Amino acid sequence: MAFRNVYSDYQRPILGMASVIGMVLLWEFAFTYIFPLNPFFFTKPSLIAGAFKEQVVSGSLWHDIAVSSKAFLLGFGLAVVVGIPTGVFMGWRRRAEYTLDPFLTALYASPLVALAPLLIIIFGVGLTGKVALIFLLTVFPFIFNVAAGVKCTDRLLVNVVRSFGGREKHIYFKVILPSILPYIIAGARIAIGRGIVGILVAEFYAASEGIGFAISRYGDTYRLPDMFAAILVLMIMAVVLTEGLRKLETLLAPWKAGQEAR
Amino acid sequence: MNTLANFYREREQALLGGGFILLLILVWQALPALIALPKGIALFFTTPVEVIKSFYQLVARNEIQSHVYVSAVEFIVGLTLAIVVGLPLGLIMGRSKVLDAMLDPFVTAFNATPRLVFLPLLILWLGIGIWSKVMIVFVGALFPLLINTYEGVKNTDRVLVNVVRSFGASEWQTMKVVVLPNSVPYIVAGLRLAIGRALLGVVVGEFFGASRGLGFMIAGAATNYKIDVVFVGVAIFMGLSLILTHLVKRLESRLSRWRPEEVKSF
Repeated sequence: MAFRNVYSDYQRPILGMASVIGMVLLWEFAFTYIFPLNPFFFTKPSLIAGAFKEQVVSGSLWHDIAVSSKAFLLGFGLAVVVGIPTGVFMGWRRRAEYTLDPFLTALYASPLVALAPLLIIIFGVGLTGKVALIFLLTVFPFIFNVAAGVKCTDRLLVNVVRSFGGREKHIYFKVILPSILPYIIAGARIAIGRGIVGILVAEFYAASEGIGFAISRYGDTYRLPDMFAAILVLMIMAVVLTEGLRKLETLLAPWKAGQEAR
Repeated sequence: MNTLANFYREREQALLGGGFILLLILVWQALPALIALPKGIALFFTTPVEVIKSFYQLVARNEIQSHVYVSAVEFIVGLTLAIVVGLPLGLIMGRSKVLDAMLDPFVTAFNATPRLVFLPLLILWLGIGIWSKVMIVFVGALFPLLINTYEGVKNTDRVLVNVVRSFGASEWQTMKVVVLPNSVPYIVAGLRLAIGRALLGVVVGEFFGASRGLGFMIAGAATNYKIDVVFVGVAIFMGLSLILTHLVKRLESRLSRWRPEEVKSF
């Protein structure tokens, strides 16, 4: 009876965990006892765990993550610094929106990764090329989300600041900035996925280190356990970042949560 | 004078927006004439007129058609597969609590991760023919479709479902009469996201392992410093993406006209 109560209270997490564990066990079992494993074509969880441990111990994993993270943070930071002011400007000034919106929307809607080979040839294989690509991919979610947020700013608050003699500067910092915070977080959540795309594309295309480079090199040399381990690490990082920001979003703006389809 | 001012005021939005894009193109075209470009930059520089010229050359030499054809096949086959798999799976996940709970960890994990990470694996498994690209388009487009279908099912009005049930409808009939029509706007919104992911898959997939296709053309041209050809490819992708997104958006607003709250997602 008590067991049944626990089950009905925590049905979702229990079933979720059971299916993940079951999947891993089935995968391991199937390739140990049923199918012969061709190590050049597939791998199994125990081998992946071994490869992961080896990468952690040798430090190659940390090195790759550090290299990629540096590019990611620089590109992403640049996108925040450029995107938020542009978005505020576009949301607050009607004519600025009229002027910039069609151009930026066209860029946002098009697959800008197509420019990756050009950017890498111009900026080189190292850090700069990656940062440029990541910036280009992540700046638009910030611009458009911030612009949408500014347009939803409470007019009453703006009028209050004006009535008390506040200047344009005060409106920006005391009213607009606090009220667009949830929109910035939402933009960041979308931008993270696009930023990771930027890292992967830049490092698959031309790089000498980084997590994307590691994945593609392991693939080229048929080291499948190492490849799966690196892919899993990247997946875990993406899930933690995205879901963390989603939680932050619901915390900051519960009224917005679930409105937007993923 | 007054009529000119009126003309401007009525069409301010279109004039400013269009004017800005036109201005940018003109500045781009005029740039080499206005300032002397340093040699290092001149190597990577091209002008809109050059891009249009090289587009005509590529068409005249029958080069571009086969690239576009290969890319289009990959896009269409991958997207169709994603629709065929994603819609039923989303419907089932929305209707069955147990399956929802069991599949949710996988869907969340795969949705949060850019599926491009599987590209080297898919190339290793499927080679550099079209099938590795079809699969990368498929996994890219699958999750937006699946998740939006799921959200549509979840947001179905309980009252309507209960009414149909009270009249003795089977699960299949409930699905057909209530759930599916209600989910259509969500599915179309998912389709718009899926188109973006699918194009991304085509472009990137062809960068790394292909012997034909627009992405292959772009990567090859960049390596040979044929910057005008790069821009031809980029422009075609941009144009296709804008046209497809626009069409789906129109479909979306038509289908959700009756809806008080718009389904929005970028």
